[in-house]
Amino acid sequence: MRLKKLAAAAAAVSFAFALSACGGSSASSDSANDNSQAADTNTEASGDQVVINFFHRWPNDPKNTMFKNLIAKYEEENPNVKINMDCILNDQYKEKIRMIVGTDEVPDIFSSWSGSFAKEMIDSGNVLDLTSVFEDDPEWADTIADVSKGPFTFDGKLMAVPWSQDGKAFFYNKRIFEENGLEVPKTWDEFINVLDKLKAAGYETPITEGLKDQWAILHYLGTMNQRMVDPEVLAADYDPATGEFTDPAYVDVLEKWQQLTSYMGEVATAIDHETARNTYFATEESPIMYLQFAEINIMKDAVNFDYGFFNFPAFSEGKGDPNALTGAPEGFMISNKAKNRDECIKFLKWLVSVDGGAVALTTEAGDLTSVKGAITAENALPAQIEALETIDSASQMAPWFDNACDASIYTVFGQGASAIASGDETPEQVMTAVQAAASELRAKQ
Amino acid sequence: MTKKRNREAFLYILPCLIVLGLFVYYPLIMNIVYSFHSFTLSSSTKDFVGLANFRKLFSDKIILTSLMNNVLYAVISVIIQVGFGLVLAAVLEDRVFQKVSPFFRTTYFIPTLLSMTVVCLLFRFIYNPQMGLLNSFLKLVGLDGLTNIWLGKSKIAMYAVIAVSQWQSTGYVTMLFIVAIQKIPRDLYEAAEMDGAGKIRQFFCITVPQVRQMWFVTMVITVVGAFTVFNEPYILTGGGPGTSTMTLALHMYQTGVVKNDMGYASTIAMLIFLITAVLSSIQFFTFGGKEDE
Repeated sequence: MRLKKLAAAAAAVSFAFALSACGGSSASSDSANDNSQAADTNTEASGDQVVINFFHRWPNDPKNTMFKNLIAKYEEENPNVKINMDCILNDQYKEKIRMIVGTDEVPDIFSSWSGSFAKEMIDSGNVLDLTSVFEDDPEWADTIADVSKGPFTFDGKLMAVPWSQDGKAFFYNKRIFEENGLEVPKTWDEFINVLDKLKAAGYETPITEGLKDQWAILHYLGTMNQRMVDPEVLAADYDPATGEFTDPAYVDVLEKWQQLTSYMGEVATAIDHETARNTYFATEESPIMYLQFAEINIMKDAVNFDYGFFNFPAFSEGKGDPNALTGAPEGFMISNKAKNRDECIKFLKWLVSVDGGAVALTTEAGDLTSVKGAITAENALPAQIEALETIDSASQMAPWFDNACDASIYTVFGQGASAIASGDETPEQVMTAVQAAASELRAKQ
Repeated sequence: MTKKRNREAFLYILPCLIVLGLFVYYPLIMNIVYSFHSFTLSSSTKDFVGLANFRKLFSDKIILTSLMNNVLYAVISVIIQVGFGLVLAAVLEDRVFQKVSPFFRTTYFIPTLLSMTVVCLLFRFIYNPQMGLLNSFLKLVGLDGLTNIWLGKSKIAMYAVIAVSQWQSTGYVTMLFIVAIQKIPRDLYEAAEMDGAGKIRQFFCITVPQVRQMWFVTMVITVVGAFTVFNEPYILTGGGPGTSTMTLALHMYQTGVVKNDMGYASTIAMLIFLITAVLSSIQFFTFGGKEDE
């Protein structure tokens, strides 16, 4: 009883976010100011009008506006199609799509992360297999980067249309590095050395992060696990059926995490990632921050200094590939309950093409598109070209932690890491909790 | 004749019964059934696991943290909302404040009308450690030593979360007490005054016993509210840092929706139900039963 009530309350909360952030629905119809219509399901199709419900996770500008414009353009070119757009931000999106993907309320088209999140969506049985869409149209299929297709392929079937690719690297303030005679660190020890020197130079928080955001913590832990732990052990641990997390390397990782958070200042646990970026990194109070390439464009106006990237430094005792880059593609899935399947496919193909939304994704919204040849020196920022090169030069892409293993594991990991940062738990305690969660998960398989 | 009338009466309450059954009793019973199963949000089958979920309740550290937080929530809410709320009501109803009391009544009641989500988002700005109103205010009046990272330290984050509810709900409880106080016959106070009882004596010997019925209502509201609290920690801290501001309802939600373990989430829901049911019964039998006296 209470569960339902609370779930409803939570959904209401999410909606409040979505509605306040989305503004009106994308529809150019005169009732666009009636927000609730965006969330309506297939009921309003009238006559020959085809209604597509489109749900994604970007209520923030510039992406929200970009989607609105793209949809308006598409609707103009295809007057018989009406696209209802609805959106909520990351964590709430995750929760809501999980709740509705298994039901009849599943949206026709929805955005999805790759890896385990995609798997979870597919396991609901409501995701359309798109392999034939790619096979039937090789000309279009070839324009999409192969590195983006892999993480959406399950049992040889392509289950989503990849749309963007992203990676995570340390962004550093070039001026401050130069002034203090610092070089880009290659190893963890060098990295700590750099942080110490910056601290000595008067930067109280040489590195910043918003630890209130669990995903931000998980981005660190995912990379650190990948760098530190033997790849075979890691693969076995991330598999729900065999995960044990007993390797002492995990405790090492959390100890390194503890060490790192000591440079982030006390405020870190109380602020979110965006606040950290805007009030520390952008104001040059913190010279280093672990950011996604997708954030390059967001910082375009706020940041007036030169910055460069470096990949997460190598651990001398690490057993993982030090040249891997953490990051993953994102894409769109189509529900197999969608009434107008062909129209959905047509819209997605248009959206993910040079003529459709691929260029705007990079130039307006700042994400790196998965479409080959869409980004050129003329239409993109130099940093974006550099970022794309960084992705190309990485030996492999390592998935985000929260796409790599089960939610019951990474949630415990993330909460534990947050408790370590606030000084409430030790790395050993956290790993005991993770091991307990893992053994429970094993028992369920 | 009477039988027929009974049947007619039954007909009138039927819609209410159907709605109650469908939306309260049926989900409640299903929840009991679910709590013995293991399943995810998207899975179509449910595996019977017996008492495994209930055993897990006892080994789950977060349950303990949540319970402590809920108890803290309840204690502080009762002291501030019920205790302070009553004092506030008595003061506002006093003859001395007759002129200004409507203004204050309204002022105190306004927070109740705001959406909890709005209030919580607002308090996120107030608590912001860098440019938040609270820290800025403390600095302005020279109390720099009292500034804090309100939501980022596990020792004080829970108090910061609880404070938001107090700010919002005290006005509501005060309003309920004002209604109760207005029903107390004036001559009681006049007689007491004649006998030389001061304001404080009057408060304890007349006001407090006379509003006993309202005590019961407000206690149930605040205590049950404290054990089902969700919005405040969800929006303000998400349960963090670590799990220090986790409450039972939030833990249940995270278990079900984030960790995707609906079976265990149902078990936590059972725990919440049990606690609130027991507490309401205790309060009902100790306070509520004496209505006829």
